[in-house]
Formats: sequence, structure tokens, C-alpha cells
Amino acid sequence: MNRTVVQIIRFVVLVLFQVLVINHIRLGGYVHPYIYLTFILLLPFSMPKWQLLVLGFAMGLSIDLFTGTPGLHAGATTLMAFCRPGIIKLVSGSLKFDNIQEPNLGQLDGMWFLRYVFCLVFIHHFALFFLESFSFRLIGQVLLRILLSVPVSVFLIMMILYIFKRDKKKE
Amino acid sequence: MYNLRRFIIKHHVIILFILLEVISILLLARSQNFHRNWMVNTTNDVVGKVYEWGSEVGNYFRLNSANKQLAEENALLRKQLSVVYDTTTCVYDITQGDTLFEYIPAQVVNNSTNQVNNYIIINKGTKDGIRRDMSVISTEGIVGVVTDVSRHYASVMSLLHSKSVVGVRIKQSQELASLKWETNNYRYGTVEDIPTHIILQKGDTILTSSHSDIFPEDLMVGTVEEFYPTAVDALNRAKIRYSTDFSTLRHVYVIHDLHKAERDSLKIRQQ
Repeated sequence: MNRTVVQIIRFVVLVLFQVLVINHIRLGGYVHPYIYLTFILLLPFSMPKWQLLVLGFAMGLSIDLFTGTPGLHAGATTLMAFCRPGIIKLVSGSLKFDNIQEPNLGQLDGMWFLRYVFCLVFIHHFALFFLESFSFRLIGQVLLRILLSVPVSVFLIMMILYIFKRDKKKE
Repeated sequence: MYNLRRFIIKHHVIILFILLEVISILLLARSQNFHRNWMVNTTNDVVGKVYEWGSEVGNYFRLNSANKQLAEENALLRKQLSVVYDTTTCVYDITQGDTLFEYIPAQVVNNSTNQVNNYIIINKGTKDGIRRDMSVISTEGIVGVVTDVSRHYASVMSLLHSKSVVGVRIKQSQELASLKWETNNYRYGTVEDIPTHIILQKGDTILTSSHSDIFPEDLMVGTVEEFYPTAVDALNRAKIRYSTDFSTLRHVYVIHDLHKAERDSLKIRQQ
């Protein structure tokens, strides 16, 4: 299937899954996992930076429309997309991906993937929860939210990547 | 000019990044007040449709409890109707009193309880007579205020919103206070500005006050869970448990206050 079509489908499915399923799961007041980030994580390595930013913004804004918080997810996801190339360099070290086009759990080392996902999810959640409270008044609560949500998000995203890794190889 | 172009091309990524972040922050800053911006308004119908479609699936699993709740409410209404039920003619005469409120039933198609600012989307809009600033209640207690309306849907600012303030009254002592939400737990709210001489017990009832511009008087709000007396001269606070269970909210009523316009015009004339 065409790569662009796959990405469009992935975009729509992740938005729907996030707003119709994940947003309704309540794990105490502090745990808010966000799995739509998988979309940004799986974009091709060679994608120009400006495209990453635009897609990050679009993804965040789509979630915002459903949660009624314009600008909140858009801001956090744009920041995450902006940091992605730097984080890839940081976690890879001397590793090179000459023959790999997209980050893919089947072809890349699991530990590499975990570090990559963790760093970007952390940046996103950090920005998101601070923007959400819009002040430093509730700093303890915000930090607790970040601390509890990041592991759950990372876990769910790794699960999604694991479940869909085999389908990727068949393509 | 050439230099400017070269500068833009060279730094296009960082410029685009800053631009997008500024747009985000502006949108977010504008959405901080009650009435949200054009973007939410224009997309409300599409978003509502998707949510309705999603909630239809979940509704089947809640039919049992929904039925029970509606039956209980029916029983209560019958009891209240018996006041105006004329036993000789078997006719319900409700024209005797002056009708103050109209109740528009609606269903919740989306609801969140875990954000800092929670909104509820209901499946009634301008075509059903819903307007901004109408209050929304459930059979258990108050729910929120309509903030945005599109043709078929409306979004409601829930009590679970960092900016939500409701004028309330303590049932036993008739004293006024105000209700806020501490943004972390959907079951509990905080009543502030309780006069110092009032001591509350666990289980005391909190109702809406007649001073509240939004809600009709004497609606159930919640019960006191914990009372926090303050040491010196300050006003007391109390933690209350909302009588509405926001996590299972399905059927709500939008209240059309028929005398609101009249009251508002009086207020304007006074100023």
C-alpha cells in the first residue's frame, strides 16, 4: 500500500482510538495516557523537519477539537515533533539507519526504541500538563501527573508498536 | 530583501516552529474564558457526530442502570404531580401555577472527568431551543452550564472545570457560600467562604442558592465530606461529595429559565 495512505489511515485510527477509547479510561485522577503520539514516532526518518512540525501541529489540533482545548495538544505535539530529530541523534549515538526508512520495532533494537519513545513522550507530557494548568500554581499536581502518566503512555505505545510490528514486515 | 529571504530559508524550521507554538498559545489563551472560540463552534457538529456514534456502542451496556434511574425519577415526579392532581376530575391541572422553568431532556454524547477543564457534549442544540448560559442538571444534581451551541449539539462546562464557581447554600443554616473544583478528583468539590460561625458536619446537604444567576434555587449539589475550620478569622472551607456522578452521566435536562430575560433586563436598568 502507498506510504501516504498508510499514514493517513494511521492518523485517523489513532485520533479515534484516543478520543473514543483511551480518553474514557480512568486510572485515578492523575494518569492520562496519550497514544496518538505513535503517529509522530513512526514518521519516516527522512521526512523534512518542516513537515514533521506541520504534522505534529495537525495531529495535536485534531485531538484538541475533540477535547475542547484548542492549542493545548497542538502546542505540546509541535514541540515533540521539533525535538524528534535531535532525540533520534541523541539516543542513536553512532548507530546508522542506511536501509531503514521508518522507525520500526521489527528492524530496530528494542532498547533503542524504548529510549526513543520515553524521551519524546516525556517532552510531550511535560509541555502538555504545564500548558494545561496554565500556571505554576499547581506545580506539585502537575509533576505528579507527568510522573504517573509517562510510564503508562510509554507502555501503551510500546504495546501498539509490538502488536503492529509484524504487519509491517509483510508489506 | 535578499538577506531576509536567505535568513528565512536558512532558519525556516525554527521560524515555523515558533510560529506554530505562538498560534497554539494564542488559541489556548483565548480558550481560557468560558465562551470558547470560533474553532470549537464551527467544528462542534462534526465532533458531536463522532462522539454520538461512539457513545451509541457504550449505551447498550448501561441500559439497565439508565432504566432504573428513569423509573425512580418517574416515581418522584408522580409524587410531586399529586399536589396538582384533581381527584374529582382526574385531570392534572398545572396551569394554576406560573411556570418558571422548562426542562429540555438531552443525552450526553461525550464527557470527560480527568482534564483540568472538563466539557460535556449533549445531543441537543439551537434547533431544540438550547441557548448559551442555560443550566444543565441530572436527576441526581447539578451538572454545568451551556457554553457553546451549534445546530444539533451543545457543549456544557461541567462543574469539573478550574473556572467553575457556583453560588450555593447550606441547607440547615441557609448561609451562602461558593463552590469550586480542585481539579484532581471528579467526585469531590470544595465549598469556600463559609462564615466562621458555621460548623458543618459530615453529611450536611448543600443546595444551589437563589443568588446563583445560573441555576434555579434549591437544587441538590452534594453533601459535606470533610470540614476544614481555619484558625484565625478567615472563612472556613469544606470538601463536598457531588451528588451527580460525573463518570456515569447519561441523561440530563437543560433548564430554560423563562424569567431570566426579565430579571436580566431589570439588572441592566439598575446599573
